Amino acid sequence: MNPEPNQAFTKVARDGEATVSRRRFLLKVSIAINALVAAAIATPVIGYLLGPIRKRGAYNSWIALGQVSDYHEGETVLATYRNPHTDAWDGDTGKVACYVRREKGNTFTVFAVNCAHLGCPVRWFPQSELFMCPCHGGVYYSNGERAAGPPERGLFTYDYHVVGGKLMINAGQMPTLANEAKLVKGILPCPGTSKPTIG
Amino acid sequence: MRAGVFAFAVSCALLASGCNSLPGKPAPGPEVPRPESILSPQVLFAQNCSGCHGTEGQHGPATPLASPVYQALVDDATLRRVISRGLPGSMMPAFAQSAGGELTDAQVDSIVRGIRAKWNKGDALKVANLPPYADDGKGDAKAGEQVYANNCANCHGPAGGKIGEAGSVLNPDFMTLMAPQTFRTTVIVGRPDLGMPDWRDQMDSPMTAQQVSDVVAFLMAQKPNAPAGRTQAPQATQGAAHQRALQPRISGGAR
Amino acid sequence: MPWYKQAYDWVERRVQLEGFVKESAEHPVPSKTASWWYVFGSASFVLLLLQIVTGILLALVYVPSAGSAWSSLQVLNHQLPLGWFLRGMHGWGSNFMVAVVLIHMCQVFLFGAYKFPRELTWILGVFLLLMTLGMAFTGQVLRFDQDAYWGLGIGASIMSRVPFIGRQLVEFMLGGPIIAGATLSRFFTLHVFVIPATMLAFASLHVWLVLKLGINEWPTPGRLVKRETYIQEYNELTHKDGVPFFSGAIWKDAMFSAGIVLAVAVCALLLGPIGPTGVPDPTIVQTVPKPDFFFLWIYSALAFLPPSIETPVMLIAPVIGIIVMLVLPFVAGLGEKSWYRRPVAVLLVVVLAAGFATLTHLGTYVPWSPQMDGWSADPVPVHFVDQTKPLERQGAIVFQQKQCRNCHQMGGLGGRRGPSLDDVATRLTEDQLVRQVTQGGGNMPAYGKTLSPAQVTALVAFLETLHPSNQPVAIDASRHVAETNNPAPKEPVEAIRP
Repeated sequence: MNPEPNQAFTKVARDGEATVSRRRFLLKVSIAINALVAAAIATPVIGYLLGPIRKRGAYNSWIALGQVSDYHEGETVLATYRNPHTDAWDGDTGKVACYVRREKGNTFTVFAVNCAHLGCPVRWFPQSELFMCPCHGGVYYSNGERAAGPPERGLFTYDYHVVGGKLMINAGQMPTLANEAKLVKGILPCPGTSKPTIG
Repeated sequence: MRAGVFAFAVSCALLASGCNSLPGKPAPGPEVPRPESILSPQVLFAQNCSGCHGTEGQHGPATPLASPVYQALVDDATLRRVISRGLPGSMMPAFAQSAGGELTDAQVDSIVRGIRAKWNKGDALKVANLPPYADDGKGDAKAGEQVYANNCANCHGPAGGKIGEAGSVLNPDFMTLMAPQTFRTTVIVGRPDLGMPDWRDQMDSPMTAQQVSDVVAFLMAQKPNAPAGRTQAPQATQGAAHQRALQPRISGGAR
Repeated sequence: MPWYKQAYDWVERRVQLEGFVKESAEHPVPSKTASWWYVFGSASFVLLLLQIVTGILLALVYVPSAGSAWSSLQVLNHQLPLGWFLRGMHGWGSNFMVAVVLIHMCQVFLFGAYKFPRELTWILGVFLLLMTLGMAFTGQVLRFDQDAYWGLGIGASIMSRVPFIGRQLVEFMLGGPIIAGATLSRFFTLHVFVIPATMLAFASLHVWLVLKLGINEWPTPGRLVKRETYIQEYNELTHKDGVPFFSGAIWKDAMFSAGIVLAVAVCALLLGPIGPTGVPDPTIVQTVPKPDFFFLWIYSALAFLPPSIETPVMLIAPVIGIIVMLVLPFVAGLGEKSWYRRPVAVLLVVVLAAGFATLTHLGTYVPWSPQMDGWSADPVPVHFVDQTKPLERQGAIVFQQKQCRNCHQMGGLGGRRGPSLDDVATRLTEDQLVRQVTQGGGNMPAYGKTLSPAQVTALVAFLETLHPSNQPVAIDASRHVAETNNPAPKEPVEAIRP
């Protein structure tokens, strides 16, 4: 049988005064070096973590929602599109729904499907001309104004523009109270490009 | 402790027996299917129709779908059209997605099939002088007044006279809400569930197709001209209240 | 010497844990703590281990991708043998764990266990509670069905209310502009790596502190905790009137844990896995999102908060709640431990429990939500239809068709947002009904613009019929006087146009 260890190795070498202070110094240096290396590596990683945070409207672009003639005057319908910022593995969640109301001619109102209270999907009832939210009972009139329930404002609306008979909306991000879908008034898309310009 | 051992033994036995009959095993298919994949006629009827037409197709405020006469009166195409696009002038909404509703064409077809399979008793009634579903537009209001007096006035009250037991059908608000087709369907089919006879069970003899058209023409002629405009609603509402304040109550102390 | 003893010795000579384990197991505990009241902590730990094991088994199949997560759960539910059972174990294990952790917390609070010198044990416990709830929420997200999707939407909407950095917080939480693949990956990371690892570390430290500081003794009224004397008193207690933890007390822990795990399994077998509900397609608006059982109280609270104070309460109340729990041992760390002499503590637990229970109960039937298919699905009660006149029947159709039923019950069916209308005619006069319908008010939309005058008249005529046969309808006294002074000229007549 081999000799077995039965005691932990606990003996510590005694140090002289001089070596203590040198070792202490080297220990401090090694800690400092580690801190530096960690900071140098970790700081850019914070950028990686905060990567999804972009400037207001940076996620938005102009999206075609079909021909103006697809929508009947005075009617509100559910329209869907693929979000411009989407990954291949997003599946159905890359899709977004909105309510398009064609008021008259080229005048539209495009509502976000998300309730202004806590983001649940409101449902349109053409008979009573109300949007109702299934979560906490927010209700909106056909023009998006708050009718009842907890929401403190009306439905979010998207900026839209009609280009060559096509209805375009400026969207790309889930609307919330901090991002009210509508950006600055007066942003129009250049015909033929998807880039918005101030016009 | 003994109960625990027993429960353990039972669950082991259940697990060993293939666990196909365990109550916790999910039923096939997703728990909540995509809305458009619901094709069961029973489910679709219960979700979309029973609110107004009644769970059993009768005793609802709207047309009694379960009535064999109604089933003989309409064909599949008519049912499909009315469900898909609604009945203009009445409150029957359009259910097809193409018309602003939430149902796919396949779902509408399924409802039509379900209604037919459950309540259509075949063409037996067709031979018995059943007037056609659609109005031929040849109704004569003048003749209709006499038809009304003969066939309707007994229960609904004579025109210009006392309102009958079955309630007024010449009330202007009621007339406004009724589409010609709803009048026609109700005259032919009656409300067997509520005690109103169909076109055969009249006082003297069954109504002819012409008499049906005549009485509908008479009823439509009583319809107030001013269509209920949305823009007038606020003032008009006061008007309605005012009007009701002047007119004695229809649903008064009779009950 | 048998071979297994040899093998044990060989390992023991290297790891040298025997002494420590023996000492820990046999450390004396006050004999009164060998009680059924002291089993919840160990049960929580056992449930944590159960969740880790079942979680690993599920992770063998689960696909953390927004496009496939839901389908992989369908495979687990329907195609793999016992996949549904493991999902059930994990889901019900989660429910049981939250419940047992809450009970454990109430028990140590009422027994004064957070007092000196066990302050840090309590603080770790608070974090463990928060992480348990965090695991429950992220686990619900991983189910990635419609409830999960819109639950994330609610989370993002709450985040967006944070002043100044709301939008940034939402983007950070979602990992992008919308709820999608990146969001699921984030919550997967939290649920599978970050929170469980932290939880294990915290739970181990929590148990270590229990070992080092001793289990909290059974509180005796009048025996006060003093900083100077407590430790000495506790040591005397354990030595005079103590039993070794193994096996004086541990058998109760073991039996309770076994019972809990068995209960989880029975729930899984009988009630099955929780969800997933519908496929997470945001274009399906025919959905009624609802959180899991232990978050229903928050869901309810959010429905009742008045808009004016909603945002501050949403953002500040949780912070205050957590801070209160964390500073509790420093504010009330000495003195009386017994619940007989701590009426405020008992009252607090009772009031909070009643509050949470009430909100949770409300959350199970969501009286504030419209019932989306009430108008087309819930029939008008037959006894109302059978006695109606033509105009009233049209009014009943107006009632259904204009979605009044989504918020108003008749005959026990329909939404509960507004009052039930079975006896509305006894409460409101005709004119009041007209006004209520057209102008709304009291959290009801105004229908003046969407109803024609004829529809209002028909609807009110129908509503006037809604009363029990033995109760008269409400009438306007002034109208009665007017009609007595100027009697109606003649009998009701059929209108006829000249």
